[in-house]
Amino acid sequence: MAGKSGRSINNVPESSIKRMIFSWEGILVLIFIAVNIFCAFFSEFYNLSSLLRQMPVYLAEVFLMLTMAYILVLGEIDISVGSIVCLSATMSCIVCNTNAPFIVVVLTALIVGTICGAINGFILTKFQELPPMIVTLATQIIFRGIAEIVLGSGGSISVTNTDGFRMIGGKVGEVPYILFLVLILAVIFAVILGKSTFGRRVYAIGTNRLTAYYSGIHVQKIRMIIYTVMGTISGLCALFLVASSYGANTTTGNGFEMDAIAMAVFGGISSTGGKGNLAGGVISAFIIVCLRVGLGQKNVHAQVILLIIGVLLVAAVALPNIVGQVKRAVQVKNK
Amino acid sequence: MKQKSLMKRITGSREALLAIVLIVLFVIVTAISPSFLTPKSLMDMLKNNAVMMVMALGMLCVMLVGGIDISIMSTLALSGMAIGMLLKYDVIASPVLAFVIAIAIGIVCGFVVGLVISRADVPPIIATMGFMYVYRAMGYLISNGGEWASAAALGSFKDFATTDFLGINCVIWVIVICYAFFFWFMKWTRTGRKIYAVGSNAEAAQVSGINVKNIKLLVYVIMGLLSGLGGALQVSVYASAMPDMQYGGEMDVIAACVIGGVSMNGGRGTVLGALLGSLILATIARALPLIPFFNQLWLNTIKGVIILAVVIINIVLQRIADRNALKGREM
Amino acid sequence: MNKKVISALLCGTMILGAASPVFAAGEGQKIALVGKSAGNAFFEIAAASFQETVEAEGGEVEVVYPETATADAQIKVLDNLISQDFDAICIAANDVNALQAKLEEAMDAGIKVSSFDSAPNKDSRQVFINQAGTQAVGQALIDAVLDITGGEGQFAILSATSQAANQNAWIEAMQTIMEGDEKYSGLELVEVAYGDDEPQKSTDQTAALIQNYPDLKVICAPTTVGIAAAAKYLQDNEATCKLTGLGLPSEMLEYTGDDDAHSCPYFYLWDMQGLGKLSAYATMALVSGDITGALDETFTAGDLGEYTITEADDGGTEIVLGEPLQFTPENIEEYAELY
Repeated sequence: MAGKSGRSINNVPESSIKRMIFSWEGILVLIFIAVNIFCAFFSEFYNLSSLLRQMPVYLAEVFLMLTMAYILVLGEIDISVGSIVCLSATMSCIVCNTNAPFIVVVLTALIVGTICGAINGFILTKFQELPPMIVTLATQIIFRGIAEIVLGSGGSISVTNTDGFRMIGGKVGEVPYILFLVLILAVIFAVILGKSTFGRRVYAIGTNRLTAYYSGIHVQKIRMIIYTVMGTISGLCALFLVASSYGANTTTGNGFEMDAIAMAVFGGISSTGGKGNLAGGVISAFIIVCLRVGLGQKNVHAQVILLIIGVLLVAAVALPNIVGQVKRAVQVKNK
Repeated sequence: MKQKSLMKRITGSREALLAIVLIVLFVIVTAISPSFLTPKSLMDMLKNNAVMMVMALGMLCVMLVGGIDISIMSTLALSGMAIGMLLKYDVIASPVLAFVIAIAIGIVCGFVVGLVISRADVPPIIATMGFMYVYRAMGYLISNGGEWASAAALGSFKDFATTDFLGINCVIWVIVICYAFFFWFMKWTRTGRKIYAVGSNAEAAQVSGINVKNIKLLVYVIMGLLSGLGGALQVSVYASAMPDMQYGGEMDVIAACVIGGVSMNGGRGTVLGALLGSLILATIARALPLIPFFNQLWLNTIKGVIILAVVIINIVLQRIADRNALKGREM
Repeated sequence: MNKKVISALLCGTMILGAASPVFAAGEGQKIALVGKSAGNAFFEIAAASFQETVEAEGGEVEVVYPETATADAQIKVLDNLISQDFDAICIAANDVNALQAKLEEAMDAGIKVSSFDSAPNKDSRQVFINQAGTQAVGQALIDAVLDITGGEGQFAILSATSQAANQNAWIEAMQTIMEGDEKYSGLELVEVAYGDDEPQKSTDQTAALIQNYPDLKVICAPTTVGIAAAAKYLQDNEATCKLTGLGLPSEMLEYTGDDDAHSCPYFYLWDMQGLGKLSAYATMALVSGDITGALDETFTAGDLGEYTITEADDGGTEIVLGEPLQFTPENIEEYAELY
């Protein structure tokens, strides 16, 4: 399927193995291995058990990447997710403190998230001319603002009965539940995006919205569904975030949207729409997680870690393009 | 008949609609708090939003070619912090030199971003997201890990923001000059028109002999230049340089442009629109604390709702205007 | 096919990672100092003296920052620290409750937890090193307001964010002191405004206060960014309204003076270097077992003398450094050199 892989080195021979290695996903796997070898040498504390122990906080953001990928494939962006996480976390903590059964707490988080996502989707489909960035910027301020109002002057809430959250933060042996859930959801989301009619339609909209519309795709319905699911998944992310802190505050989830976008983009999902697949997104998410854990364990300055991620992000997109350009130039010369 | 055509002219123009929104906002705020509409209060408002207003011009250029730049506040922090440290350790003393250095750093930052976007075909949001981290980190590094340059360390540099020229504060002159220049530049120069051409249809522009890559590079250099200027203004106005200044402020600049009718797909948007958009945001920021019956906790929510309301009202008015325009043609 | 190869490779690297050796810890105490965010001059001063003190005793300090000033980011930092072999963590918490789970995990792993500057809740720390008692700060601030207004008149408070725990505690203390004593009956607190510790918003808020309350006599800003922004606005506009609060001497040097040309007659902060030093000694005492963080224990903090652990407002324990320091036009230049 042309255009499915986010990036590729141009003019790769048609042999399947070579194509696999030269595809962006192949390169990402190599980077993943390199990052792990590097981290193992860099930090004496970097091993499977410390990685698994530190992973859950980062994995909560990987949830967001899964749906963010859909939005990016549409050629759009949602920067309100961090605030949705904040609001759902706040609401679920409040419900939890009323001694409601834990299933109600879980439902609260998911429903609050879904409602927020649906509000985004509603505005964006009712006023299609509006750029998603500005709408979600406004709702970003609003959702976090509501959380601020609800939390009042303390700005923070803690869960009194932590049993439920302790349970979802649990582990099988050393492997946290959240890792299984991320992997299961990743497979589901990847299959829907890559293999189903729905997924094809998302690519079609991302490639050319007008053509998609005229070929009978319910563009607005699909956008509505995706933004709503984005909200639901943000609610899920909120639950696991609360499980790591047993509380919520006004800065919960701050900046998560950028992390999610960075993971997706590094994985080859184009922000201009129509390109990329979730396998790349998931591998790149793990690359970023491993790198952050490895560097963090040697107390590398947080800003330097961000600098490295920034450089990686730009290089990951720029290098294949430059290599392609050089190759083309050489070919022209040879002719 | 003549009146009708005037009506149509007003409702047909996006800027006129925005001006109406702005006037309504002014009237409401003044009704609640009369002290809002005094010359001093308005001057304060302009001065306190100078950074956003000036940088909205750069964002206008970037968005006109269909790009976006979220690294601007990191560039601002880097250039502002750089001159802050230079002044603090007495490497330089001249305010003019400080401005030049800040702008030069901004230009270099913008040039690098522009190269990556125009030559390596990296989507703007990704390239600038990467450089947002990179420049911010560099800002932290040159601050020796977290030193601030305070009022006493800035010497005569901070006086720039308190000096009046012809009865008007120098910072406001900077805004006026920038807007006057860009109004001329975007409308009457070949380069300005080329930016519009590239934004409307890059391929057509390429075919008609415009170097699209260079224009794309240029807009990011302009953005960088204005970010550098913004850094110098920020340090001068608040008499303080900190590595985390304006963290997250890029969204305000983007919002100002979008409210001002600049299209995120490129090709549409005017200097007047950017001016009105940033004035609307500035009014909101200025007015919210003035209105006594708002609980302080509610301010952020109200700000978000107003931004959303303004863009939606704008769209609704636009739709009505479009429908009227069609009716006029008797279709 | 593609995915199978990928997953095999993933497993391979994981195992490779698992096989890497774990080195033994070195000698001397290893202490991690966790800040609220990078780039905070206020914190740097305390951190530098913390580091100096521990190193003089043969220990090692790692100063670590979260990437943003949020509890989420601090959780990641704490995770990193727990993976390493630190003896103690001293933290300035970004949120009262959010770090409880991680700090409890750290304590379960045998790491001592102290905190300074702003405290996590009582269950997530062994002891809190308080820069100055909440009551003492409240008292100093309200007395300053009383003094500057001349006994009666309107005053307003410009705080950081509405969620800032320290600021809220001081403001509350000011209010209770005001209500409890006839002396303050002439004062009227007209508004508590929040500048979010951003210069721009703080300036807008200050301007709004002046416009809404023309008779305002004093603004009290118990936050470093807020007080500097307000001081600049008041001084530039030659406002009759005066300012006091908590600020850094180096930031306030230009604005402090007794005459009408300066906006701030005097203001307060505490001994930042002393705070770093005391935190260092207290944390080292926790590690060596001299104290456990229980009530009424005493220990010697080098040349600072002997300190006793007392009960904190939240029911946990704390060590109070001392009274707030007053910065006047006479002593500010001397202190501005230091911080």
